[in-house]
Amino acid sequence: MARRALFYVGLALLLLAVLFPLYWVVVTSFKTTRDAFAIPPVWLFSPTLDNYRTVFANRGFLSAFANSFIVSILSSALAVAVGSVAAYGLAQQPAELRRAREKFILSLRIAPALLFVIPMYYLATRIGALNKHWLLIAAYAFVNVPFAISLLITFFDDIPKELRDAARVDGAREFSIFWHVYLPAARGGIIATLILCVLFTWNEFFVALVLTGRDTQTLPVSITSFLTFQGIQWGALTAAATLIMLPMIVLGVLVQGQVVRGMTLGSVKG
Amino acid sequence: MRPVAAASDPTRHFFQPIIVCLTVASVALTLFVIWISLHDLSLMRAGREKFVGLDNYIRFLGDPRAMAALWRTVLFTVLATVIEIALGLAVVLFLDRDFAMKRLVRTLLLVPIIMTPVVVGLTWRFLFDPATGMANYLLSLVGIAQVDWLGSPRIALFSVLVADIWQWTPFVILLVMAALESAPTDPLNAARVDGAREWQVTWYVLLPMLRRALAIVALIRAIDSIKAFDLFYIMTRGGPALSTETLNYYGYIVAFTNFDISYALAIAIILTVFTNVALLTMYSVLFPKTGDR
Repeated sequence: MARRALFYVGLALLLLAVLFPLYWVVVTSFKTTRDAFAIPPVWLFSPTLDNYRTVFANRGFLSAFANSFIVSILSSALAVAVGSVAAYGLAQQPAELRRAREKFILSLRIAPALLFVIPMYYLATRIGALNKHWLLIAAYAFVNVPFAISLLITFFDDIPKELRDAARVDGAREFSIFWHVYLPAARGGIIATLILCVLFTWNEFFVALVLTGRDTQTLPVSITSFLTFQGIQWGALTAAATLIMLPMIVLGVLVQGQVVRGMTLGSVKG
Repeated sequence: MRPVAAASDPTRHFFQPIIVCLTVASVALTLFVIWISLHDLSLMRAGREKFVGLDNYIRFLGDPRAMAALWRTVLFTVLATVIEIALGLAVVLFLDRDFAMKRLVRTLLLVPIIMTPVVVGLTWRFLFDPATGMANYLLSLVGIAQVDWLGSPRIALFSVLVADIWQWTPFVILLVMAALESAPTDPLNAARVDGAREWQVTWYVLLPMLRRALAIVALIRAIDSIKAFDLFYIMTRGGPALSTETLNYYGYIVAFTNFDISYALAIAIILTVFTNVALLTMYSVLFPKTGDR
């Protein structure tokens, strides 16, 4: 009995450590400036939406929201469309050939972003593309395609080979097997891959920091503008932070079984 | 049935164009990057670059700021990887039993992983605020003097490390937990029947079964720690007094503050080579037998 109680105390401490920082940011976003900086901290207070009004009055933040939305949806859709075709082909190959290709795709992940962002920035300044949405969409599609391929292969592998063989006996062409058999059968996996791509793109900071201009700033870049030289506006900042992360936490929880699988590219199935 | 690997196999057309595109893009990019790193290209004076050979690489070896950044990267990577794995494994063993709301705990552990890294950095900067932050308030409750978490050159790197550990230990936990649940329970019970003590079962039977999962998560965490950028940019910007400047961050500064893109790419190439050597070493230590996969 005592052991069991001890276990639940430990569990509570663990959850406290994991969730407290998040809780504190969300709660602070509903506080007045005076409450936010009170020492000792105020645990009970009358909530205010002032910080959210400040954020929504900031036109830069609203356009960043639109930019993040457009860029992450389009680049992810592009990556999943291209990736599912390639993954279908790769999933049908004999093991040695596949492993070589997969290793190549994985190796694309190891290089630091600096390595391809600098040349892209250099070329973009030359052709005047720095402030264009398509540059960002192309960059993220390039990053997401190898990821989408590796993850989608693991979902296509889960589809029984008999389905494909049966369709071939019926005289179906490869493309129609892909379109009418594999895509519907792997629908859940494809949606999960799409959501994970959106999640990574939405959260990504480094590429966006370098490749965005005034009109294409995404949310993570835009939020740094609250870190001004006059000091940090913590109230507005915590409200903006809450707005940025909440949609991703909802999406992440929707595909929770696939997040670990996605981040390990299927090498461990969660 | 036809052999699937035949040259006429139509499934090849599905992936070959994309693989070719990716190959061409990465080869072109690599050549372009190497070409730039052998010149003295600067955005401040475009169009007047000249060939300088290996000067940028030689400059790196004699650059104390770069060397310090490299050492800091190694320190941060080793500490982050080791602590996250050890802590994560401890929590997994702790949670390895049936209890109410296990699914809910799993879902909650996911939250730090999918939180926007920039927001994680801001959160911890908020908690570490010297005057009004929660960290110093908690210390004051137990009567310890205030700590300048992000303002002291001796402490700042470890404060960033705390944020990294907070965000990524749950990832280790979830991954190892998944591996543990798919592992067979027979060997464990067999060992118990043979009279092994609980710690012996854990050490000699359970841990070897988790080795592959632990090795994979260690590799992933090492790759990501070497490339860590967001937390450093948001929490310290490499400061104070360059005490949190990693090699990746230094490369960014060289490229986009000094606009010296040739030297920045030389740094990026060295970082890539360094990462690959480190990974291959880790890989051969973690997967010593060839038949392991």
